[in-house]
Amino acid sequence: MSKLIIKNLYKRYENKGKKKTQPNDFAVNNLSLECEDGEFIGILGPSGCGKTTTLRMIAGLEDITAGDIFIGDQRINDLHPKDRNIGLAFEDYALYPPLTVYDNIAFNLKAKGVPADQIKERVMEIAPLLKVEDLLDKMPISLSGGQKQRVNIARAIVRRPGLLLLDEPLSHLDGKMRQALRTEIKRLHNEIRCTTVYVTHDQLEAMSLADRIAIMNLGVLQQFGTPMEVYDDPANEFVAGFIGEPPMNLLKTTIIHHDGDYYFTFENSDLRILAPRRYYDLLSDGMQVKMGVRPTDIFVGGPDSKGTPVKVAVFEDLCSERRIGVRVGDELVMLITEDDTRYRQGEMIKLEVNGEKTHLFDLQTGNRIRPNK
Amino acid sequence: MAKIEVVNVTKRFGKFTALKNINLEIKDNEFFVLFGPAGAGKTTLLNNVAGIQIPEEGLIRFNGEIMNRIDPAHRNVAMVFENYALYPNLTVYENIASPLRSPLYKKDNATINREVHRVAELLRIDHLLERLPSQISNGQKQRVAIGRALVRDPNVFLMDEPLAHLDAKLRHYMRSELKEMQSSFNTTCIYVTHDFLEAVSLGDRIAIINEGSIIQVGTREEVYYTPCNEFVAALVGEPEINLVDGRLFVDNGKYYVETLEKGYLLPLPESSGIVRKLVDSEVTEYHIGFRPNNIKYTFEKKDGLIRGTVYSFESIGNKAVLIAKVGEKYIRMIAPNDLKVKLDQAVYVELPIHKAIFFDAQTTNFIGTSDEAAIYRLVQEQLSKGVQ
Repeated sequence: MSKLIIKNLYKRYENKGKKKTQPNDFAVNNLSLECEDGEFIGILGPSGCGKTTTLRMIAGLEDITAGDIFIGDQRINDLHPKDRNIGLAFEDYALYPPLTVYDNIAFNLKAKGVPADQIKERVMEIAPLLKVEDLLDKMPISLSGGQKQRVNIARAIVRRPGLLLLDEPLSHLDGKMRQALRTEIKRLHNEIRCTTVYVTHDQLEAMSLADRIAIMNLGVLQQFGTPMEVYDDPANEFVAGFIGEPPMNLLKTTIIHHDGDYYFTFENSDLRILAPRRYYDLLSDGMQVKMGVRPTDIFVGGPDSKGTPVKVAVFEDLCSERRIGVRVGDELVMLITEDDTRYRQGEMIKLEVNGEKTHLFDLQTGNRIRPNK
Repeated sequence: MAKIEVVNVTKRFGKFTALKNINLEIKDNEFFVLFGPAGAGKTTLLNNVAGIQIPEEGLIRFNGEIMNRIDPAHRNVAMVFENYALYPNLTVYENIASPLRSPLYKKDNATINREVHRVAELLRIDHLLERLPSQISNGQKQRVAIGRALVRDPNVFLMDEPLAHLDAKLRHYMRSELKEMQSSFNTTCIYVTHDFLEAVSLGDRIAIINEGSIIQVGTREEVYYTPCNEFVAALVGEPEINLVDGRLFVDNGKYYVETLEKGYLLPLPESSGIVRKLVDSEVTEYHIGFRPNNIKYTFEKKDGLIRGTVYSFESIGNKAVLIAKVGEKYIRMIAPNDLKVKLDQAVYVELPIHKAIFFDAQTTNFIGTSDEAAIYRLVQEQLSKGVQ
């Protein structure tokens, strides 16, 4: 088990023969991260954000353009991948087809020349953790996708690596199996407490598994924090829109000043939201910003509500929860209702927004506008 | 607009039977969802309605007229493809107009203009008519693709997993958009999906298909509250329904189910009629289904609750899934996403016996539900249908 430190990491791929289309062609751009010993870190972002490239540089499968990576106290930039003491599992299971599950898990230990009785001990120790103890005599071809991935992860951790790297291990699996294995990975980490870096594009996986999440976009780290930090306190518009399902509603708003108070107003909409007092120092009449509010912070008011009357554009009954969509200008704004009431499309409701829970973002940069403390 | 009937349809590919004696009646103007896991036969059924494939046995009827020997072009069906397949070099206007310009329809320019504007207004894309597909958003592209299908007033509108290729975020958004547009379709729709949320959000009725057979046809409420067997119960709902073993226990004229642990008895609610159903069924061994969102829990010891340990706690966005291990059984339940909880700590679980669904442990078939609110809702639904 070791600490992982990434310092000012850059990766630039040579653009052979192709014309350069992007002014900034760093796949990973000045990434710095520190993962504590035993911590579970998720690297989250859309495709092309540099998350897998980062993982591959840690593993030694990719050259480092600039910057340093330390595992424990050791700088590993120039270390051969096999000497980095890393366990790896990718989306593709890549099991050895002619070998049994047992031999697949034992393979790396055998290659290292570990005595047979020790190998057996270690395989038998790991197999129950991943619930593959009944599969040890089977061939990979007879396993389901979920079972194959369990074997693959068992193979990665049987060597007792200092660092476990997982790259989208659940992406190939269907919904139910994915949920089940997600739970198992979490249990496994709780059991072995191996420092783990987990790469995914699925915010649910990152939120549910990781102690802390590094959110990346276009090669740049956007925010690094616990799941609740990135959910409640997003650093910028990108993070706000990426975390949460349904995502945060993000709307362009014009601030108006009226009777000593500030309000958020929206183009082609009657909706008006009282701005939280803590923002007053920063606001001015006519100012334009992006306002974000989570679907759980918008409510349908009762008959006496002072909320804005709006038409239900969409009502979705998803059995265990219900969602209402309303049009604010051109944007579809979603809210989640807890109660059992069913609404009809076109029905008028009174919309109440918890202004205190709104976030503001700079229209140009997307950066969070934070009130002065 | 048409009523679609599928009568005793069997479709084979060599030795493999993809559809086994399918019977369906899809009402005029209905939004009908075919829902099932991969390989269930959903797309094959859709292709048979479209005329892309011809069944070996059985009939496809549109408004009573047999379609088996009519080629796809003359069935007047419209399909929306997964990738929208818009012509990139044509404006939104020309994309929507394209079916009307085809040799089959050949409408005059005035008619085309009127129809394109009618559809564009319905779908709220009338301000985009001069744009190229590359200049509009994904949501707008979907609208254009649907506009192109609607412009020629098809008998039936067929959609085969139109959202499946999108990433999770966009898929949810587009589903809501599709739901918003639904009322303007004004034609019969058949929609294929493997996504439970799409099925329940969009479908007026849902047919659940598995291995080439129809398992259940019903409204969202019917398949969710009264699933005809455990397969349907597990397919409809996320996180998956909890199924625990239970058996009938009678003491002093009072009815209980014993479940999870020997001697752990839950009194059956008298008023819901479930006692009658269970006794009449003559089955005494059950699988009892509890939806995760109905289960309550506490971390303090409380009488009548069953003790377990926290097996996992996972945030799924606005809420979280808490899994308790009770004996050898894992119980999934919904918890707030900011709950502070340690793995393996004690948790006390309350199974909501007044919201339970009972299945025959042997056959896995539905016996009854103790959920009075659900029964009431279903009766209301039946009544409102009768009024129509």
